[in-house]
Amino acid sequence: MPCHRYDQPTSRRDFLQTAGCGFGAVALAALMNEDKAAAATLAHRAAKAKHVIFLFMEGGPSHLDTFDYKPLLNKLAGQSLPSSFKPPITAMGESKSPILECKRTWKQYGQGGLWISDWFTNVAHHADDLAVIHSCASSGINHAGGVCSMNTGSVFGGRPSLGAWAQYGLGTENHNLPGFVVIKDSEATVVNGVRNWGNGFMPAVYQGVEFNSDGTPIKYLDNPKGVDRKRQRDKLDLLASLNRDYNATRQSNTELDARIKGYELAYQMQSEAPQAVDLSKETEATKALYGMNDEATAVYGRNCLLARRLIENGVRFVQLYSGAGSKWDAHKGIEVNHGKLCNAVDKPIAGLLTDLKARGLLEETLVIWGGEFGRTPMSEQGDGRDHNPTGFTMWMAGGGVKGGQTYGMTDELGLYAVEDRLHVHDLHATILHLLGVDHTKLTYNHKGLPERIDQNEGHPFTRLLG
Amino acid sequence: MTFVRHSSSLILTACLVAGSAFAADDDAQRAAMKFFETDVRPILVNKCYDCHSKTKQKGGLRVDHIGYLKTGGDTGPAIVPGDPEKSPLIEAIRWKNDDFKMPPKNNGGKMTDAEIATLEKWVKMGAPWPEDGASKTVVTEGGFTEEQRKYWFFQPVAKVSPPKVKSDWVRNDVDRFIAAKHTEMKLNPATEADRHELVRRAYFDLHGLPPTKDQIDAFVNDKDPHAYEKLVDELLASPRYGERWAQHWLDLVRYAESDGYNADAYRPSVWPYRDYVIKSLNDDKPYDQFVREQLAGDEIAPNDPNVLIGTAYLRHPVYEWNQRDARGQWDIILTDMTDTTGELFLGLSMGCAHCHNHKFDPILQKDYYRLRAFLAPVHWRDDMKLATPEEKKAFDAQQAKWEAATAEVRTKIDAIIKPILEPKVERALTRFTDDLQVMTRKAPEQRDGLETQLAGLVERQMQHERDTFDPMKSLKTDEKKAEYKALQEELKKFDHLKPKPLMEAFVATDAGPKAPAVAIKTRKGEQQIEPGFLSIIDTNPPKIEPKGNSTGRRTALANWITRPDNQLSTRVIVNRVWQYHFGRGIVATASDFGKLGEPPTHPELLDFLTTRFVANGWHLKQLHRDIMLSATYRQTARREPNEVAAKTDPSNKYFWRFNPRRLDAEQVRDALLAVSGELDPQSGGPAGDGNATRRSVYTMKKRNNPNELLRALDMPAGFSSTAERQSTTTPTQALQLINGDWLLARARKLADRVSSIDDAWLAVLGRPPTEKERTTAEGFLKKRAGHVKPAPPKADSDDSLADFQENSPHERLLVNTSEKEGDEFTVEAIVSLDSIDVNASVRTIASRWNGGKDSQEAFGWSLGVTGEKSRYKPRNVIVQVVGEDENSNIGYQVVPSNIHVELGRRYHIAARVSCTGKNVTFTVRDLETPGAALQSAVVPMDIRSKISLGASQLVIGGMNKRSSASQWHGQIEALRIASGALPDKSLNANPERWTEGFITWRSADPLTSQFEWSGSDKKIAEANDPYRQAMNDLCQVLLNTNEFFYLH
Repeated sequence: MPCHRYDQPTSRRDFLQTAGCGFGAVALAALMNEDKAAAATLAHRAAKAKHVIFLFMEGGPSHLDTFDYKPLLNKLAGQSLPSSFKPPITAMGESKSPILECKRTWKQYGQGGLWISDWFTNVAHHADDLAVIHSCASSGINHAGGVCSMNTGSVFGGRPSLGAWAQYGLGTENHNLPGFVVIKDSEATVVNGVRNWGNGFMPAVYQGVEFNSDGTPIKYLDNPKGVDRKRQRDKLDLLASLNRDYNATRQSNTELDARIKGYELAYQMQSEAPQAVDLSKETEATKALYGMNDEATAVYGRNCLLARRLIENGVRFVQLYSGAGSKWDAHKGIEVNHGKLCNAVDKPIAGLLTDLKARGLLEETLVIWGGEFGRTPMSEQGDGRDHNPTGFTMWMAGGGVKGGQTYGMTDELGLYAVEDRLHVHDLHATILHLLGVDHTKLTYNHKGLPERIDQNEGHPFTRLLG
Repeated sequence: MTFVRHSSSLILTACLVAGSAFAADDDAQRAAMKFFETDVRPILVNKCYDCHSKTKQKGGLRVDHIGYLKTGGDTGPAIVPGDPEKSPLIEAIRWKNDDFKMPPKNNGGKMTDAEIATLEKWVKMGAPWPEDGASKTVVTEGGFTEEQRKYWFFQPVAKVSPPKVKSDWVRNDVDRFIAAKHTEMKLNPATEADRHELVRRAYFDLHGLPPTKDQIDAFVNDKDPHAYEKLVDELLASPRYGERWAQHWLDLVRYAESDGYNADAYRPSVWPYRDYVIKSLNDDKPYDQFVREQLAGDEIAPNDPNVLIGTAYLRHPVYEWNQRDARGQWDIILTDMTDTTGELFLGLSMGCAHCHNHKFDPILQKDYYRLRAFLAPVHWRDDMKLATPEEKKAFDAQQAKWEAATAEVRTKIDAIIKPILEPKVERALTRFTDDLQVMTRKAPEQRDGLETQLAGLVERQMQHERDTFDPMKSLKTDEKKAEYKALQEELKKFDHLKPKPLMEAFVATDAGPKAPAVAIKTRKGEQQIEPGFLSIIDTNPPKIEPKGNSTGRRTALANWITRPDNQLSTRVIVNRVWQYHFGRGIVATASDFGKLGEPPTHPELLDFLTTRFVANGWHLKQLHRDIMLSATYRQTARREPNEVAAKTDPSNKYFWRFNPRRLDAEQVRDALLAVSGELDPQSGGPAGDGNATRRSVYTMKKRNNPNELLRALDMPAGFSSTAERQSTTTPTQALQLINGDWLLARARKLADRVSSIDDAWLAVLGRPPTEKERTTAEGFLKKRAGHVKPAPPKADSDDSLADFQENSPHERLLVNTSEKEGDEFTVEAIVSLDSIDVNASVRTIASRWNGGKDSQEAFGWSLGVTGEKSRYKPRNVIVQVVGEDENSNIGYQVVPSNIHVELGRRYHIAARVSCTGKNVTFTVRDLETPGAALQSAVVPMDIRSKISLGASQLVIGGMNKRSSASQWHGQIEALRIASGALPDKSLNANPERWTEGFITWRSADPLTSQFEWSGSDKKIAEANDPYRQAMNDLCQVLLNTNEFFYLH
């Protein structure tokens, strides 16, 4: 097993690592025992953020038409990229196409005077909570690489996702629910499928669990057809009884005990998970706040409200996909494409921020907005924009970040990040930092190497912290 | 696994005990070293080395050894160990003194607070440095330290004699090494496992399957003193052996059947490689040959398809077909190949030396590139066939005949297609950067090696345009379409001349006789690298002989790896075999024998077995025998650690018992199919999906869409080489096992097979239940069903013949007729529905369909009601059709009526499907509400023809293939199918009045020979029989027990 020879179980993290070295029971411990004392020894710094809600706009939302105001764009519209710009490699080979104007109207909001376009007028009311990072960069020029990179730090599959790292580092607060939950806005598959929230080389206990937005939240949560709770209980009792007899002479194998407990946890999850997602307890006013009363915003609004309930119930990391299956990918007709999608998420996201704040949850919940990359100033097919991983915008709110201001900068056309460039590795390091975790210390030994989320390349952007 | 359990039931507590095993052999020194290596050194390397190490010493200071730091530079010592406040280095990095700021603003700028804090802490700790005192510890070119040179793994494999031990326990030489270590550590071995344990262990280990009752009995009752030896030999001789052990190799080479990127395209011709691995193992092919074939089969035996296929090894990296950055992609592919080759064959994490000299092992960055240089000429070929020269010759001859005969027609076809297709292909090319366009436009023979490789990637995207080109969609006018269609018809007339296509070869060769350059790029420039071996063990240049159109580099690499005196590769494979038998290698980190890996527990034993393995001709089967016939292997797993073991070896590194472990994902799935009696023994060929009942090694392995059960049980995803599997336990895994359809279906099948509690135990666990278990099981049956034996079968089912129910004799009604309903027909029925599918499946009233969507066999239709999660909303009456659309493309379409029915209510439903009218007309009337209005809907349909020409027969209440989710659940009192769209007046809610229709079925009428019920074999409908339910539950519980899931 890839155990580091110098390993000592001095912290919770260390013995969780040994879980990866064959002590499968330990992996379960991460889910089963909320041990705040142990978790505290791991959090390297007292942090406000305890939960994350990652609003993932899949397909690559245009920063140029939403949060990164570039007046030069409209001045140069129709012309080629000035020769002072290095020609980028673009996914669709559009580096020579003319620059596309931005048709939005822009206004400044909040005390910080953040420029936000008319596609996000509701979110704009929270301007003073938004830490808008204009200088994000990624290695993936295609959706597959980009989404994988934003989730795992690598353009290739096989590494644990950010949510898995967060769970690995901080454990869970509610063992009757998964610590990492993913909800999509449609049945479409997110690019690369389930491995976006996979555990990579970590034990499966850290993987994200997909919740259905409606109906039974988790696959296989319901008893099989015709099996009532009593019959299920009888089955599990029989199983536990047979397993206990078998384990009686094998007590040194803690994995066996873990399997018994795994079934019990599953049984508890069967009753707890549906309650966590039961929106009937929410008032009509709350639902309206999230836009659930309007067909255009109902789906994402519902998911945002579910996210708040999950956070309240102790889920560590929630990821909400908008436009699952690269719907934000506006290679042509960006006006129609983005107009519709922005409208679908603007009110729900604003509602989420309002609600979290009203309930005093925003301080301990880090809300992240963004996609796998932004879009080019150059046009594609006349009225669309190509992928731009070299400079794009994400914003964060809550969780202790200092809002009402922007960080970093792209060039005058929003093509390249030029100031405080934050690669995905830096973003991941920053997010862990906001959760109180030193990403250089959160290592998982794999094939003899102390693996980190950032592949030893990231630096936290500490200025985000107020 | 092996620790004394504390009374507390908290697993967390148990883990802390587990942890203390590590605490036992640690010391503060190691903690400090770890801190240094993971935290401190990276900062020094990244932030200081540029100006203060071997090449530059600004201010006279070097920071790459503690000695330099203590001596310091021009202004005196840089650090005072133990006292950060007095250490100039700390002062400098704090940036407090304006004249003394390091790193300077123009070279990195101030370190982060965390980094500063780390260095402060390090100085405060006394600035610990590894091997303090040695003059050099950082790996530098050619200057390995004595310690590095002496590292055990780089030493030649020693000729070892087994230690002399006095022990009755010893059975063979393996045991002498184990026993000697036991004596040394005051451990003692466990008793031998009983025959039940042994037979189960041997079967799972060698075949990945549980023994059948007969197989158990045969062994347990065998009086021959060599019964066990015989058993091992028999198992090794069975083809099941290769199917099991291939899985290990497939894990290591990251075998998968898809590209792994977003499109995750299926690799239709990779499976012959899987079969090649299975066959090689079954044939006991010498391992050295096996390695050579995979690295260089194309150079060794280019004309032998059975060898050539080995080079699929070079094709397993993930691949993104539409990546525009062809250079970047090829670089990534080569990196992946190099890393895997280093881990797999040499047991070293070569990847660490990709960007810098390895920080922990004496692997130079140059060594990494030397290894890469062997692989750099590789070219992924798509134009090769798995065929002998004779077969190719015969094919070519026949193909030439076809080409000659069709030249004229094809010229005409090209004349129509090319003007539209070529611009598309050209557009695919111009998406690339100019340099790539230039090399792709060159004639193939003008390209150099790298150009061949890159242009190859570009051309695949151009080819994709051709492959996906659909003339019927792209041609603008109807005349052109008609003309094209006529020409295609003409071309088809020559099909009899066409040779049978040869199997595509998923293989690789070199890009040409001259290898592309390999260079290390640094800020100083480029350094060209030639192939070579690890500097620390072999500085001799390899003997490379170009062969034909190939550089011969990979043959040279393969020959080096398979040299009998290669101390790396030989130990690595022997250790892997040991690991798969015991769950833990002699070196526990089977792909990392370096300093960050685990040291060997029994180095002499490893060398002894390695020497023997090579001397015996690299045969794995003999190695299996050596290991499995040992007393070490035959120990029982049922032993708790005694006081000594608990203290000194709680994790059983020294084998004082057999290591119990959870079965692998594939073992679990295969065992479930085996005990339910469903396992399909068919070997080889293309993989099927997870619903098929073949062994898991034949289950399709799509990287982005893995089989759910297998993945939940830790099957690797196939992105990188996997040497050790995880064994995880999660609540969601438990949910899947206790609530999931797949396992429930296996339990039902098992319950079908067994007639008593004892039967069930024998089938699942290979032994009868204990008295206590029998009592427990009887208690369960009694509680759930009221009795412990099956109820006497009822004379005959008195169920109404209109009842359609799963797991009853009346699941589906099959219709025997040769008549076809055609492209315009009417289906009319009187039905009521008791439940809908909990997911999106459709409860089927009638169909002629196998559920497929994209083949001619799948042509067909179904009428049914949607499930809970249907995107058409639940309880919607819909028609699904598969046929040809107006462009003659195969199409699938859902035609929803958007009329929603209630459960438990009688309806008169009719659907009139009309390809000519291009629609489906639905009428639905609620028969229970007097005066209920007739609901109707006319819904457009795009399918134009052939919907009754598929391979399926007509079925009432389900589909051609049994499928639980699409099964009707409720009543179908009567149903008819008539050709043509009947007029409104012909529809009737009273089936007695039905006249037209080539199929008319009324439940009240006697069953004619035209109809045949299909259902479960058992006469008793399970759903209504508490005993049957309880037995299902009991079987499912047994399939979930720890005893079933564990190898022991």
